[in-house]
Amino acid sequence: MFEELLEDIAQKNGLREVNAYLKLAAGLGAILLCLLSSSYLSPLFIAIVLTCAILILAKVDAKTYAELFIVPFWFAIMSVAGIILITGGQDIFWQWNILPSFSLSITRESINQGMFVFCRVIGGMSAMIFIALTTPMTDIFIVFRQCRVPEVVIDLMMIIYRTIFILIDQVIQIYQAQVMRLGYSTYSESLHSFATLCGAAFIASWDAGEDLIRAMDARCYDGKFALLGESRPVERIPCLAVVCFLFLSTASVIASGTMTII
Amino acid sequence: MSSIILEARDIRYRYPRGLEAICGISFHIRKKEKIALVGPNGAGKSTLLTMFNGMIRPDSGLMLFDNLPIQYDTPSLRMLRKRVGFVLQNPDRQIIAPTVYQDVAFGPTNLGYSEPEVKEAVTQALRHVGLEGFERRPPHQLSGGEKKRVAIAGVLAMDPDVLVFDEPTSGLDPSGSEDIMELLDELNHEGKTIIISTHDVELAYPWADRAILMLNGKILKEDIPEVAFGNPESVRKAHLSVPTLLELHMELQKRGFLLHGKKPRTVLDMMQCIETLFEKSVSKKRHGMITVCNVDLKTRENLPKWLSEHTGICTGAMGTRAKQCAENLKIHLDFTYSVIDKCILKALLGEDSVILTTESMVKRVYLRVEAYGLESGVHIPIYHISTAPEEPNEKNKSLP
Repeated sequence: MFEELLEDIAQKNGLREVNAYLKLAAGLGAILLCLLSSSYLSPLFIAIVLTCAILILAKVDAKTYAELFIVPFWFAIMSVAGIILITGGQDIFWQWNILPSFSLSITRESINQGMFVFCRVIGGMSAMIFIALTTPMTDIFIVFRQCRVPEVVIDLMMIIYRTIFILIDQVIQIYQAQVMRLGYSTYSESLHSFATLCGAAFIASWDAGEDLIRAMDARCYDGKFALLGESRPVERIPCLAVVCFLFLSTASVIASGTMTII
Repeated sequence: MSSIILEARDIRYRYPRGLEAICGISFHIRKKEKIALVGPNGAGKSTLLTMFNGMIRPDSGLMLFDNLPIQYDTPSLRMLRKRVGFVLQNPDRQIIAPTVYQDVAFGPTNLGYSEPEVKEAVTQALRHVGLEGFERRPPHQLSGGEKKRVAIAGVLAMDPDVLVFDEPTSGLDPSGSEDIMELLDELNHEGKTIIISTHDVELAYPWADRAILMLNGKILKEDIPEVAFGNPESVRKAHLSVPTLLELHMELQKRGFLLHGKKPRTVLDMMQCIETLFEKSVSKKRHGMITVCNVDLKTRENLPKWLSEHTGICTGAMGTRAKQCAENLKIHLDFTYSVIDKCILKALLGEDSVILTTESMVKRVYLRVEAYGLESGVHIPIYHISTAPEEPNEKNKSLP
């Protein structure tokens, strides 16, 4: 399954040992700069740099990365196509008057706008994927705790994180059992099967919840969750790399100004 | 005999809207005993086990821990649960936290240990179950056997006196099961009382000090395994089967073979029975020798060299750390479970063997081999690796 794959990579990637703050700074900083930039150039720059970081530094398999990227990529392409056709402008390249009051057109402005949105999307996506692939959830919990997020929230997050995988396993098992007995063969049958699946998953999660309480009680639960392990030290080279990256990105945001593609 | 640690006096329990799960059970468990609760599904084993740490309160009757009735107020229950560790059947249900470290640290943290103490407890517990270096792994990436070990480590970290296991080997492959059973032996050897529930007769028979056969919420039979499983009538009643070795022994007896000594619990015991039966002149045969290597000592570094000097020797490892050590040193292991017995069997065939083991288990090897020697009158030479004679075969020939 996909979510398990992501966690697997996050646990084993080449940047696993780098301090989580640095990785989050790079990722979140990149997203912020993508949003601040008013030119298509700096998001593109960020996307290229982070993609290289994911593929070369984190040693993530290019195919896996492409698979992750393809869904938002198509989504972006379709949205951008819509933006280009709908946005109006002065410098018209192509126009089609469907209705008297509504026309589709491709203009200089619409292409610029489309390109800008597209680059923003891929810049933001690569930053998100960078965080997802390099920083395991467990490290993010440590950061949350150090950032003084309330304990209750973190404890809940940790239990949810742990339970997700158990529940997904159970849902897959129930689903497979249904498919094996021709559960989703017709439309009405699949509606029925899906309802049963939901019901069974609900009961399973309820059971798991009761067992969780019992397991915690059996180990003297007193409202405390174990302290998380300490985070890795900030090393000089990764730190410099992140600072460099953020500096260059900021510089590109400022330098590119409102530069457009055409 | 050591003192009683857990006792039940005529306890009864009925599930809400359900059948009576426990109908009048009385028994006691002594310190450092290995108890197997055996019975078919729905016999009330799990219900009974959950009473040991106060998760379920009996409707009537008395549960005593350390000769004091169990109190069901929160502080007493916490103390009880610290001293009676419970390992659930499904490790997925027991592992709460998102990383191995956090999960093992759960108990100690809630007991109010300081941070260094928690760390120490976790390190010790993980070392015990052979999962060093797994601290930061998320549990859902581990195999079934590893998850089980994490669950056991989580309980061990609280340093309980009694360990209760509900179906410790369910869902594990045979070698994983043997590993877990050996871990239980190791823990027992360190002075912990171990109680397991199982319906695997073959597993319980050689392992347990005492077996409790349960059926329909009652105790059917409670005795040493040879007796508890030796009565085909009660075994059949409990929907179980007679252990193969015991059955073989009984069948041989039925055919008029006079078998002396105690009933066999291991293949070694059986061999002894059969050898005495055919009165093989054991004294004339040359016996192999057993060499013991303590992997906790520095001498382990000489081990690969020693092994290369003694090619063709059988190697066995007892205990998780010994197995790990063997893996690190890339030593091929011939035996990984019931190692002592298998090495004695080899020795009887005239082959030499070496046992890698941990500090606490060295004595046990000596004791077991000596006990066997006394019982069978066969002297098997046993040495520590540093004192082993260079020419084992020469030495052996001079032995009577």
